Amino acid sequence: MSLRIAGMGWVTPLGSGVEEVWQRLLNGETAVAESLSSPLGRDYPVFRVPASALAKAPAHPRLRRSSAISRFAAIAGVEALANANLKLDADTAKRTALIFAISNGGVIYTKRFYHDIVESGAQAASPLLFPETVFNAPASHLAAMLGITGASYTLVGDGAVGTLALKMAEDLMADDAFDYCLVVGAEEADWLLCDAYRKWRLLRAAPPIEPFQEPPRGTILSEGAGAVLISREGPIRIEKISGGTNFQKQREASNAVEKVFAELCAAPPNLVAASANGTFIDGAEQKAIQKHSPNGRVYTVKAALGESVGASSLWQTIAAVQALLAQQLPRAAGIPVLESAVISTCGLNQQVAGLRLSVASK
Amino acid sequence: MADFPSSSDSRTGARVAVVAAGIVSPLGFGLDETLRSLRDGKDCVTPVTAFPVDRCRCKTAGQVANGPLAEANRFNAHPERLHRVARMMILAMKQALDQAGDFQPELTVVGTTSGGMTFGEQYYRGLTANGGSNGHAPTLIANYTPQKPVMDAQEAFGIGAPCQIIANACASGTNAIGHALNCVRSGRYQRVLTGGYDAISELVFVGFDSLQAATPERCRPFDRERTGLVLGEGAAIIALENFESAQKRGATILAEIIGYGISTDNFHLTQPNPSGIGPRQAMEGALKSAGIQASEIDYINAHGTATQFNDASEGKAIAELFNGVPVSSTKGMMGHSLGAAGAIEAVISLLALQHQLLPPNINFREGDAGLPLNIVANESRSGAVRTVLSNSFGFGGTNASVILRSAAA
Repeated sequence: MSLRIAGMGWVTPLGSGVEEVWQRLLNGETAVAESLSSPLGRDYPVFRVPASALAKAPAHPRLRRSSAISRFAAIAGVEALANANLKLDADTAKRTALIFAISNGGVIYTKRFYHDIVESGAQAASPLLFPETVFNAPASHLAAMLGITGASYTLVGDGAVGTLALKMAEDLMADDAFDYCLVVGAEEADWLLCDAYRKWRLLRAAPPIEPFQEPPRGTILSEGAGAVLISREGPIRIEKISGGTNFQKQREASNAVEKVFAELCAAPPNLVAASANGTFIDGAEQKAIQKHSPNGRVYTVKAALGESVGASSLWQTIAAVQALLAQQLPRAAGIPVLESAVISTCGLNQQVAGLRLSVASK
Repeated sequence: MADFPSSSDSRTGARVAVVAAGIVSPLGFGLDETLRSLRDGKDCVTPVTAFPVDRCRCKTAGQVANGPLAEANRFNAHPERLHRVARMMILAMKQALDQAGDFQPELTVVGTTSGGMTFGEQYYRGLTANGGSNGHAPTLIANYTPQKPVMDAQEAFGIGAPCQIIANACASGTNAIGHALNCVRSGRYQRVLTGGYDAISELVFVGFDSLQAATPERCRPFDRERTGLVLGEGAAIIALENFESAQKRGATILAEIIGYGISTDNFHLTQPNPSGIGPRQAMEGALKSAGIQASEIDYINAHGTATQFNDASEGKAIAELFNGVPVSSTKGMMGHSLGAAGAIEAVISLLALQHQLLPPNINFREGDAGLPLNIVANESRSGAVRTVLSNSFGFGGTNASVILRSAAA
């Protein structure tokens, strides 16, 4: 069994659409931070999806009351199918699985729902908001929009969860009952998350994100979605997905990352799409890269798009696929032929995974 | 990459053995206590004291006793940081690993709906009460996330397997077991730990109350005058292993898992299609995956939340597919433990197989008119139980069913 990436969709602070975002990255653009104010009097820089990108959300009754995260996912999911020229009818929808990767989930509605309880008591809690707080609400909306009636899973985790979702897709596709698996990662930004990441000492007060700087100076949160359609045909071959491992303490992250690189780098890849984001992750990845891909190119898409947690692994994957297909990298001239890429995904809360891609032979 | 047999078909895939199970629930700690509660039809629903419920319609839940959870503290260097539900996971995993013998999982697949939600609540209340300075914030944040209780349990026993945390609402636990089954059946994995967990939290409790899905009365699954669910909590872990591998190393095989079906009902975010098509497709999928006929099922552990919508939809699907098979929902005894429910009920199904027991559907008086279900009403019964189907359905329209078969069958 050989799995391929057949289509992709991208919603980011640099706009939506794989080609549009990629072109802007090639042009050297970086997302512009907006200031999110908390009611506690503190402002946080965040990379947000522009309103113009949200305008691309499909018109569907399920999206009427949904939070931003569901809209991001809908735009990316629909684009990935269109990108692969796949139209789901009742038969193909049955043979298509949906896997959703998420970390913080519908935090905006969750916060609003709980805020009402705290401020006014249980009787003030809104029955309209509660269903949208459930982790699988965005996946449910997307499944309803696409007519997927079979397998739908929502996976929760840290920044590595998108890769774990790809691993789950590989496991599902071992079953010949499935022809496609649509993997979507999404996240929405809110001041509450910024506050939490600041107290966790992972957030930077202002851009830029500076990967691989010592000492690490922190990251900036962002939002959006990434979608990858897995099939048995397509231009990019998935050579291997490492389900990875876990680390208990931040100082142990480098061992976990090293283990994943050892699994994926039997031969050094031409490109490492790193998850470095200005935190302790960077040092852990740097050691593994020096050992396993000392001469390869390293690209960190989070420097331009921010840390989107549940969506981030898929953003890295999309960037790596674009680099392999276009034989180009942002802010890099005269690059060697890119035949293979390792996507390293180290999360901020104990999970590490990765995958290796190559250009499929014609 | 090697070719593997179809993972959804019992005829081509590997057999999958259950070699161990651990459970922490309102029914008790461990298989023996749980079995006693099931035999006695024990009502373990009690008044909620963890947070104020005076403004809720529902004021009760199935709650895990806090005292015995302290046993988990010795498995962590900083037990004060552990979420309460991490303690449940640690103890359920310990029970399973103590039985499993030489069992190093290659993967852990666990279901939950709300992770360490109460830590998120504490964090938010701290923010609003103290003007933004909540002293223990980093600990609350790091331990709030859904993967953390599983990581804590794995760390306690030196397990480094990757964790897939499935959050498919109330079907999560059954989805986790079903996916784990397919992973082993496909030959891609030899040993997988699976299960589910969830703990009572104010946000979720008030949420179900706001939907008027929770009852101020007793929880009466499949009763004509049912008025809604009560919530529950707990954790359950099952160790799955390639059957031949388990046999070869002399492991005790408690049962086999032979079928899994999943469907997505796009009818509504919180309500099932009244036609019962979602549950029906999940059960049909599980039967097909198991390669057996509906007539071979001896007992159904139903999702049976006691909401009007669920029980009508599920009951209709069961009545259409099965002819008089004994059915019970065990949620009347212990509440609906959401992401843990499917895992806990799989362990209950395992006990039914091992002890030839039909667990009771308590608080039952009379069924829906025109819905011919053979409810195991109020008292447990003995019966010939070789094959059991267990259902879980959830928000978002996720429906999942698994089938377990006696090791002796």
